[in-house]
Amino acid sequence: MEIKNLNLLNARVYDPLSNINTTLDVFIRDGKILYECDNIDSKNIYTLNLKNHLIVPGFFDLRVHTRIPGNNSCEGIKSISEAAARGGFTDILAMPDTLPAADNPGTIQYIKDRVEKQSLVKMWLAGCLTTGSKGESIAPLGSLKDAGVIAITDCPYSPNNNQIFINSIKYASMFDLPVIEFPFDRSFGSDNFTHESAYSLKLGIGGSPRIAEELAVQRAISISKELDVNIHISSISTINSVQLIRRAKELNFKITTDVSLHHLLLNETAIEGYNTLAKLNPPLREEIDRNALVSGVCDGTIDAVTSAHNPYSLHEKQVEFDIAPSGAIGLEVCFSGLYEVLKKCHKDPLAQILNLLSYSPRRILQLKQNYMKSGATANFTVIALDKPLKYDLALGTSHSENTPLNYKIFSASPILTIADGLIAYKSNNISDLS
Amino acid sequence: MKKWIRKSLLGLDGLAEWEIRKIIETAELLNSKKEKGNSNQSLLNGKRVINLFMEPSTRTRVAFEIAAKSLGADVITINAKASSLTKGESLRDTALNVRALGADVIIIRHSAPGSPLFLSNIVDVPIINAGDGAHEHPSQGLLDIYTLIQKFGDLKNKRITILGDILFSRVARSNLFGLLTMGAKVTLAGPSTLVPKEFEKLGANVSHNLKDALTGADAVMLLRIQHERQSTKHFPTLGEYSNMFGLNNSTLKYLKDDAVILHPGPINRGIEIDSNIADSKRSLILNQVKNGIAVRMAILKLCTSIN
Repeated sequence: MEIKNLNLLNARVYDPLSNINTTLDVFIRDGKILYECDNIDSKNIYTLNLKNHLIVPGFFDLRVHTRIPGNNSCEGIKSISEAAARGGFTDILAMPDTLPAADNPGTIQYIKDRVEKQSLVKMWLAGCLTTGSKGESIAPLGSLKDAGVIAITDCPYSPNNNQIFINSIKYASMFDLPVIEFPFDRSFGSDNFTHESAYSLKLGIGGSPRIAEELAVQRAISISKELDVNIHISSISTINSVQLIRRAKELNFKITTDVSLHHLLLNETAIEGYNTLAKLNPPLREEIDRNALVSGVCDGTIDAVTSAHNPYSLHEKQVEFDIAPSGAIGLEVCFSGLYEVLKKCHKDPLAQILNLLSYSPRRILQLKQNYMKSGATANFTVIALDKPLKYDLALGTSHSENTPLNYKIFSASPILTIADGLIAYKSNNISDLS
Repeated sequence: MKKWIRKSLLGLDGLAEWEIRKIIETAELLNSKKEKGNSNQSLLNGKRVINLFMEPSTRTRVAFEIAAKSLGADVITINAKASSLTKGESLRDTALNVRALGADVIIIRHSAPGSPLFLSNIVDVPIINAGDGAHEHPSQGLLDIYTLIQKFGDLKNKRITILGDILFSRVARSNLFGLLTMGAKVTLAGPSTLVPKEFEKLGANVSHNLKDALTGADAVMLLRIQHERQSTKHFPTLGEYSNMFGLNNSTLKYLKDDAVILHPGPINRGIEIDSNIADSKRSLILNQVKNGIAVRMAILKLCTSIN
């Protein structure tokens, strides 16, 4: 949207990292945040009264699968960025599991061109750690960095060969490229979509055991210590992974981690009736795992929360459970879902959400924070609190419908997202505000 | 007895005791009618039964064909070597097409667990599960229960041991769910890699010791070792399996004298069971095959009686 000048009146600006927690009028002029301004009533200025609303630094999603190029469904960079903006995200990190894989500068350049033309939010790119994410040889990490990637990962895979893994991390450290490890030991089989338990035995689905993840978590911890490098462990799902990482952090190892929203809200029983919408990677596990993950985000053991957004057309999901692709969309509901989780277990849920969705992701990727300071480029989100809203795909911006969370009711949601000084999302209900 | 209200038979999990009894009583009725020389031909007269077999099968497919034909139905069998997806068509589209071709009942065998449930959500005709991956094989479970009831009358507190590859077995699961519903005590036995402890949470006893598993059992149900599936990941060799868990003349002594032996077939003679035991008086293997037709007739009759 072209509106470059905005008056946002009477909002509570909340940015603990900049020590701001005050009700203020915020003026956006040429994309910059101002707290004092003399031309308030010009014609081309859009004014909103945001009383009872909250302005917070824009969110950052560490795991989004655009699968562009290669995604044959109805999604494009634009629609994915719209979903991100609707969820309050001003920044997302696109995973390299594209087709062809994002393991070469040409593909990176192709994606960058599309992103520049189409994306409403800042879409950062991750490159492959190993060629084709096959775990057989190190990807050209230096050239990838030159082409513009800001992190490397084989997500949703992980190199099984330990020597290749260590060498690629050593090699990456030369370029100061953050490494994101998706912990899964593929020697347990290539499927990582259902949890091995009495429940999966009953359904007759071959499950992936917790240990397939935990061995990889332990491997990353040991390598981080040995090489004295940062490793970000993405998308953990088991109680033991939380404990392993908690211990590693107590010992000041350079380990960070995240969890996907779905793993905080659901357990393995969501696949009841072979529901392919709840077929995720890693799999949803048992209630003890979910509880441990919730504790982890409450006490800060888990640094960040992702949407693990992975759009598929309904016809791609309407197949036998075995062959259905794994993944769900989540960008639009990530904040809202996380707020429901944290308001039950944290004394200051919003402060913790900002850690999980804004400050930590940028710190992990060594990026500048989105300060709400005067003069900073506007990258923020306006939140409506305590206004229950039913998540309804039909009203959303995502072109995909693969979510197990449709019709859930959430009590808080983003209503306005400003990315790089421009309106990336504005709720239809916003005219009612005042 | 209550009126049958289930349109599809997807599994034995969730079936009430009276429903299992109803199927078995119906099977008995149809059997005795046939033995008296009366025809059952009018029951499914003019109905079109489609056998949708996406995985190889001989006895189940033939038993369903014979059952449907004995009831007067037209039977068409579609054998797809692999999932229809390899041809580019989804199972959903295949099912919609089969329905459009006039199927009144679809019997499905598929390697993917849950595919019969998936079909039942797409098409409005009765869906009969003839085996879905490692999930369920309800007609097999029912014919096994029928065979055991013929032998024992009542299964309350009867001790049934299911021995072999439990992890990958849909027969084991259907029997477990059905036998527990009938009040039997079920022990699942075999190598620890093929009989996970978690089965205890589903109500079974789990044993990794052949002597313990056989001692005191009223019946032992042997399962085929699917060596094409496990290769060396779950046990070392077939010879080792046979030595540790095979039913042979020396391990037979752990069984009570009146204990019976069942096997859903196909049998690997000399591996899970010695040839002479399979052919002995204790063996109910051929009764199972015969009962399989009656049970499948009963399933077809009951499920098509709903409108």
